[in-house]
Amino acid sequence: MTMTTPRPITSALDARFKPTLYARVGKENSFTLESYRADGGYEAVQRAFALGPDPVIDEMKKSGLRGRGGAGFPTGLKWSFMPLKDGRQHYLICNADESEPGSFKDRYLLTEDPHQLIEGMLIAGFAMRASIGYIYIRGEYVLGAERIDAAIAEARAAGLLGKNVLGSGFDFDLFLHRGAGAYICGEETALMNSLEGLRANPRLKPPFPAASGIYNLPTTINNVESFCAAPHILRYGADWYSSMGTEKSKGNKLFQISGPVARPGVFELPLGATFREIIYDFAGGPLEPIKAIIPGGSSTPMMPWNDAILDTPMDYEAIGAQGSMLGTGGVILIPQDYCIVNATWNLVRFYAHESCGKCTPCREGIGSWMTKIYEKLVRGGGKPGDVELILDMSDNIAGKSFCALADACLGPVVSSIKLFRDEYDYLIANGKSQYGGRSRWAEE
Amino acid sequence: MPYFTDKQTVLEDIFSRYPQTEQGRRSALMPLLREVQNALGYVPEAQMEEISTLIGTTATEVKSVMSFYSTYHTIPTGKWHIQVCATLSCALAGSDALWDDLTETLETVPGEVTPDKLFSVQKVECLGSCGTAPMLQVSDIGYAECVTRKKLHTLLEHLKNGGEFVPDTRVPVFMQGGQQLDALENEVGGRTADLEPLPMPG
Ligand SMILES: Cc1cc2nc3c(=O)[nH]c(=O)nc-3n(C[C@H](O)[C@H](O)[C@H](O)COP(=O)(O)O)c2cc1C
Ligand code: FES
Repeated sequence: MTMTTPRPITSALDARFKPTLYARVGKENSFTLESYRADGGYEAVQRAFALGPDPVIDEMKKSGLRGRGGAGFPTGLKWSFMPLKDGRQHYLICNADESEPGSFKDRYLLTEDPHQLIEGMLIAGFAMRASIGYIYIRGEYVLGAERIDAAIAEARAAGLLGKNVLGSGFDFDLFLHRGAGAYICGEETALMNSLEGLRANPRLKPPFPAASGIYNLPTTINNVESFCAAPHILRYGADWYSSMGTEKSKGNKLFQISGPVARPGVFELPLGATFREIIYDFAGGPLEPIKAIIPGGSSTPMMPWNDAILDTPMDYEAIGAQGSMLGTGGVILIPQDYCIVNATWNLVRFYAHESCGKCTPCREGIGSWMTKIYEKLVRGGGKPGDVELILDMSDNIAGKSFCALADACLGPVVSSIKLFRDEYDYLIANGKSQYGGRSRWAEE
Repeated sequence: MPYFTDKQTVLEDIFSRYPQTEQGRRSALMPLLREVQNALGYVPEAQMEEISTLIGTTATEVKSVMSFYSTYHTIPTGKWHIQVCATLSCALAGSDALWDDLTETLETVPGEVTPDKLFSVQKVECLGSCGTAPMLQVSDIGYAECVTRKKLHTLLEHLKNGGEFVPDTRVPVFMQGGQQLDALENEVGGRTADLEPLPMPG
């Protein structure tokens, strides 16, 4: 008899799939310490204390968790970059800036289960010998800030933060820092400048944050969802975690869906679940014909609406093979009768507004030229050759900017031209689009 | 009048979150700006000066940092500062029409305050709540979600009549007892409570 390894879990409909990140959402007072503890909260960090810092990092590595902030860097590996006993203060930062259009998963982790995040940061701090943590939350998340602040106070009063956490000998304290409306603050080095009270321009890398981050000291920064995965990995084990997902994309993830669907929202699925699953089984299907899918937040290239794409597993590799990216898992559906040039212009405008102005390719390329030419197109003043000009500009900007913001803008630009060149041409030839550029607004 | 003179506990609380170093003091800039703006609706020149002294820099520096962020205002705002999300998911849900209706109803444009001092308006970028589009943010209080024409007008009337703004707190997550609900509200997958935690080591 041959031993067969169990089939990996790649669907949230699979009876073996049990959501964890959002499992407590919807419970009364889910955000209180009492409620969190009643569900076994803060047991994982005790397990971490019993294991010791290095085995915790090993467990994180073994789990296969990759950063959920968009770039997908292996979390355990990142944690292992922090210098060992170098005698300096180590910092931990939670990136709760969540500003990539289409992304709204961290928001409910913050408001509904703040202790899950605090426990995740405690585990990370212990593993990386960091005794101070900051949660950088975008300024607009008012309820999130209130809930996090209250949870920090509760945790401090219960001896879960402060000196000698739970008698372990480990000191850890945590503070909240509120942002003020700038997308670039989500970029990790810009975030550090912002936290230091400076203009949030990105910093040159290297040095990487693990060598020199906030206040020039060793720092590790992770996304909210990455930290929130840690207590579950410690509690149920790396093998449980990696039983979900595909070969190189392990675990569960929060996927968001917005645009014209019956039930927009956030769904917890194993990596490798298909677009069809989230769109139809969970979001109830589109409300009108769709032409494009933005798979993982506004910076990820658009994909066409067809069966092959709908059946593509949502994991880093499979979406990559289709020419796009998993990103933050923020799916946006663009309806058939919404002008694609207008939709793209909306995003170009966003990135132009958010360009920090530090480097020329982004400030001039995106902030000025790209914006002007798109504005001209949607106003009906496009000329033959404009599309070639956009592509040429894109070529000149790609990979040449200081941080990834300019490239993020090119995602929708280049992909929309590739997929919907006919719409650009029609708009240029006729001075107006064959589709509307405004959506109907619900009366009631 | 200096704003922080009689607010020593506020100052202590803010500075206690950062290291007792030059760099650490500077970190207090954003929370100090927010403190002033929430009280006054904007940050006047005198307070930029005051904050610069508190954190050991110049007023020009403070102004330069402020101008980087879209949240800080250097001119007065209305009692209710209404911010409309203009980014894609909200645009797909009709935010252009919402914006037109809002500005026409209030007869105002960005940068102005209505004569009754009640309202000012601003277009903002993705509020991180695309699942409940179209979205509004009211001052530094919270969100109005899934804003229909009727809802907008009810809200404006309510605020005009002296009402308070009560933020929406819809959570578009479909979970019941640790189990997820599909589009037909059927429980799918397993229940989280059935997962067995590993035994404690040692
Ligand atoms: C322009 C830009 C914006 C970003 N915005 C965010 C964000 O809002 N939240 C986030 O977690 N990561 C964001 N990132 C990624 C961060 O730089 C960083 O990779 C991430 O916080 C690391 O955490 P992770 O490894 O857990 O994903 C952004 C990156 C860029 C270039
Ligand atoms: S696009 Fe409006 S909240 Fe995201």
